[in-house]
Amino acid sequence: VAGLAAAFGSGAMTNSIREMDDAGAFFVIGSNTMEQHPLIAARIIEAVRGKNAGLLVADPRRIGLAKLATIHLQHRVGTDVALLNGMMHIILENEWEDVPFIKERTENIDALKSLVEAYTAKRVAELCGVDEQSLRKAAELYARSEKAMILYAMGITQHITGTDNVKTLANLAMLTGHVGFASTGVNPLRGQNNVQGACDMGALPNVYTGYQRVNDLTATRKFEKAWAVDGLNREAGLTVTEMVHGAETGEVKGLYILGENPVISDPDARHAARSLKKLDFLVVQDLFMTETAKYAHVILPALSFAEKAGTFTNTERRVQLSRQAMTPMKGCMEEWKVFCEIATRAGYPMSYESPEEILDEINTVTPSYGGITWKRLETSWGLAWPCPDEHHPGTPFLHKDGFARGLGHFEPKEYIPPAEVPDDEYPFLLTTGRVGPQFHTGTLTRKVSILEREAPRSVLEINPADARALRIPEGGLVAVESRRGELQLPVHVTPDIPEGSVFGTFHYREGNINELTICALDPVAKIPEYKICAVSIRRV
Amino acid sequence: MKILLKEKVQDLLWEINSGAQVYCPQRTENGDVLLLPLGEGSYTGEVGKIPSSAKAVLFPQTENILLFREEKISKITEAEETVVFGVRPCDMRAIAFTDRFMARGNLVDPNYSARRHAMTCIVVACNEPPSETCFCKATGGKLFLTDIPHDVQLFDAGNHFIALAGSERGKAFLANGHFESATEEDGQKLAKIKERASHAGMATNGIQNATGKLLEDKVDDSFWELLANRCIRCGGCAYVCPTCTCFNVHDYPDDSGYVRCRSWDACLFSGFTRETSGHNPRPTQGARLARRHEHKLKFDVMNYGEIGCVGCGRCSDACPVGLGAIEIIDAINKVQEMTKR
Repeated sequence: VAGLAAAFGSGAMTNSIREMDDAGAFFVIGSNTMEQHPLIAARIIEAVRGKNAGLLVADPRRIGLAKLATIHLQHRVGTDVALLNGMMHIILENEWEDVPFIKERTENIDALKSLVEAYTAKRVAELCGVDEQSLRKAAELYARSEKAMILYAMGITQHITGTDNVKTLANLAMLTGHVGFASTGVNPLRGQNNVQGACDMGALPNVYTGYQRVNDLTATRKFEKAWAVDGLNREAGLTVTEMVHGAETGEVKGLYILGENPVISDPDARHAARSLKKLDFLVVQDLFMTETAKYAHVILPALSFAEKAGTFTNTERRVQLSRQAMTPMKGCMEEWKVFCEIATRAGYPMSYESPEEILDEINTVTPSYGGITWKRLETSWGLAWPCPDEHHPGTPFLHKDGFARGLGHFEPKEYIPPAEVPDDEYPFLLTTGRVGPQFHTGTLTRKVSILEREAPRSVLEINPADARALRIPEGGLVAVESRRGELQLPVHVTPDIPEGSVFGTFHYREGNINELTICALDPVAKIPEYKICAVSIRRV
Repeated sequence: MKILLKEKVQDLLWEINSGAQVYCPQRTENGDVLLLPLGEGSYTGEVGKIPSSAKAVLFPQTENILLFREEKISKITEAEETVVFGVRPCDMRAIAFTDRFMARGNLVDPNYSARRHAMTCIVVACNEPPSETCFCKATGGKLFLTDIPHDVQLFDAGNHFIALAGSERGKAFLANGHFESATEEDGQKLAKIKERASHAGMATNGIQNATGKLLEDKVDDSFWELLANRCIRCGGCAYVCPTCTCFNVHDYPDDSGYVRCRSWDACLFSGFTRETSGHNPRPTQGARLARRHEHKLKFDVMNYGEIGCVGCGRCSDACPVGLGAIEIIDAINKVQEMTKR
């Protein structure tokens, strides 16, 4: 969100899913789309198969889409900025940039030009471990397609340079004029059905709804008036990783965790558990007992999507109505009612009649949601924001007639190496991710027998050459150790992971790869570098 | 032979619904036409091709089959009388195929069997193929039934249906007062409809040739691996297939013990054939895709003398990445003859 907001003034998928049918080329980087967004992957596959669209995949692993790609750049983990700067160098070298677009719609191009000057194809190919010819072809495919879409996910953001990675992608899109039109853009694929909605509603430490900043006096006054209160705090709060750190240092005394399982999902997970133990008071609200809830002083029940009504905002900014399909289980109530009760008991009487009344309030205080009313949602497949008034049709793609911040701002970034790279003591690079049949920490999916059957256990993917050198057979048990901890995992030997790298997931409380990952943060977004740390491996 | 005025269909269905659960194609709030219990959508007279077949009426997506109570284990075989209106000829053929599979000698599926015996099938014949992906004829089917067992078959004659009984149960059904006597003119009309329908629909889409290639082992592993690269493993093809009846069982606790539940499964899932040891005889997605289509087009021919596909085309309608039967048949036909495995 931070990276795109800096470049364009708005941090969300710029374009919409349907537009993928008409794209001339796709650049998928840091997204294992077939596993994590299979229906979006299906659109890409059909555009490639049926309409001859080009498919450029940049991923250190030979993921599913890589097998269907026109070009697969298997760059080293953590070298994204260098790779993208190299592509821009090649584009400028060949004059493939969109000169009128740059002139009319952007600023700061000279700074970009002078920075990428040093990122010659030869140097970048060496740095990233890719073939120079493929790099040139990749730059050409993306730059010279009439409409090209960039799609990315956590492979881009979960780095200490996550914000830089996003800004560099934005640079690439602006340089080639691939933003502000249908079937183009820079498109972060969100990992949950409503994570976009949670961000939009200000479930972030520095903004109210619709990204109205807490340090903006006008915004603060508006919310003070709407809620009939004085003196709303104008300082940004803490991010999740900072809260956990604060729990350790004693700065944070209490936490209320909803639908999140940091004991499994936080980097250096053992550290997260130790930190939560130090809290004076921990409340966890979830559907099932979780590893995190075991540390709680109070556990509150939650409702599944089927038991409540409300809206979800999906990855393409589309707000959709979700109707209640079954009555809540005994002893459970809607989360919003729980919040009202807590607020009331804490001294601020809060009450709403229904989710509809809550949306009414959202409509009044959130300009981008102004026209997304309950009534309209009842008779449509949803509306994509910005949708400022009742007659506005919604916005399938952003920045059509100018960027939200005015001119698009090139923010050139130098390549910075990852926080921890392999060395003699820890010679393997560990990268982490997910598998299709499991979701996050498995709170839901591990209770579904057929999904659990598909992916029943945590495995470590290793290249055949490394497996041979370590004399580990398929399924053999290894001890994986990082500076944070040690795990024993069976291996899956596959050429899809490059030599010198291993891959694991955080879906399983037994065999959780986050016991090894490092809590090194992106300085802006505070997202941890889940994608790289150094480990050693030995046979057990 | 009887006739049924289209304007009387709803009355008829509601009347029967008092003594049996009626299923018929109905339009939902979201605009889809689905086979639903009467009253769950609105009956509009459309039959078309329903995205999922009548399979779920006989073999629900999930059902409890056993109860574990202290020392006692008991079967759950509940079957209410059902009348399914709007079964298409291809679906009826699929049911006949499934009947054979679900009762082989003394191996009888009690749940399926109980429902099947309590079911009346009212077929609506196709005057012409209801969708572009229909290829029943190429699989040896017809747009109306001649030799497949059924209860009643209706032919669309404009403002009314011409109704023929196919079984004793069907004859009893036609005795309902909403049916009227047919005239001589209806007889002529019926002959014309049948004549036209027997010329409609694509006679082949290369399925015989594809089957031949598979039977002679002329399609090798690399062919399947290449296609399977685009499979997103959703299992949708198996779910919508009217002849797919593979299921998984799992046990879950309830208030007074445990319940065994069965639910639809799909051969494109990696866990489907994986054994307890961890060994998987179908270890790759290509091998699983091959298994799926070879089952229908090769092994069923070897076991039953006919393919296991009725040409409804639903897998091609549902697959988001173009891996339905139509596309697979096409690809097999295009592929160069390969070396034997």
